[in-house]
Amino acid sequence: MVKWFKQTTNLKHSWEQLSLAMWSKYPNPHSSHVVTSDVVDRYVDPNTGYLYTTRLFLKRGNIPKWGRKLLNNNEAYVIEHSICKPNEGSMIISTKNLSHAKLMLIEETQKFIKKDEENTTLVTKARITSNIWGPLCSRIENFGLKKMREGTINSCNGLLYVVEKLKSSKNAIALSNSLKALK
Amino acid sequence: MSSINPECTKLKKEYDECFNSWYVDSFLKGKKSNKCDELFKEYRACILKTLKEKKIDTLIEESIKNSTLNKKK
Repeated sequence: MVKWFKQTTNLKHSWEQLSLAMWSKYPNPHSSHVVTSDVVDRYVDPNTGYLYTTRLFLKRGNIPKWGRKLLNNNEAYVIEHSICKPNEGSMIISTKNLSHAKLMLIEETQKFIKKDEENTTLVTKARITSNIWGPLCSRIENFGLKKMREGTINSCNGLLYVVEKLKSSKNAIALSNSLKALK
Repeated sequence: MSSINPECTKLKKEYDECFNSWYVDSFLKGKKSNKCDELFKEYRACILKTLKEKKIDTLIEESIKNSTLNKKK
């Protein structure tokens, strides 16, 4: 069995602001579970001008009582691959957990697509799979789906917090002005 | 936000700062510039050691190789 999740949201910010905020998303008050963040690979394709990035996060979570026998620690490495296409105003980000992947694999794809100068569409899709046999499998997948629903709201709130912070913080004023100049 | 190796956090912050200004001032404007490449090399060398120690370097390489969001095959 596999569980699916899909959600489309309209964000009232420019694609440029949101894509910039994605790079500085952590820390934010909605992401206390993210412990570390690193860029492990990054390059621009000289032919297309697209930016390819791979980031690694260490996340810490709460495990429900019934799951504690299955997991010996509450930390997981999460990998994120992304393509950013500036001329098309699109950014595609795919994320999955590297740790405990047999127990539960959450693969998420987010697409930020420019709608107009001040609006961006965010499409989030996720697939939750557990390779555990028996009745526990569906319990794990349902747990993952519930976490995914909560996580999507949290993640969006975190991103919006960072957008506002980038607009107002002293260090970011220069960046923000440059973003305005782009329009 | 801290790096996977706390000793690399300073390098990471310097690189992130460079990247953010590069992203807005060069990348989004379609201008070519490699002003952060040296900083990235230094920062990456710092974390690679830790990734190897934690034995996640091969998992990362595999994931990059298999990702549809990647050009390097």
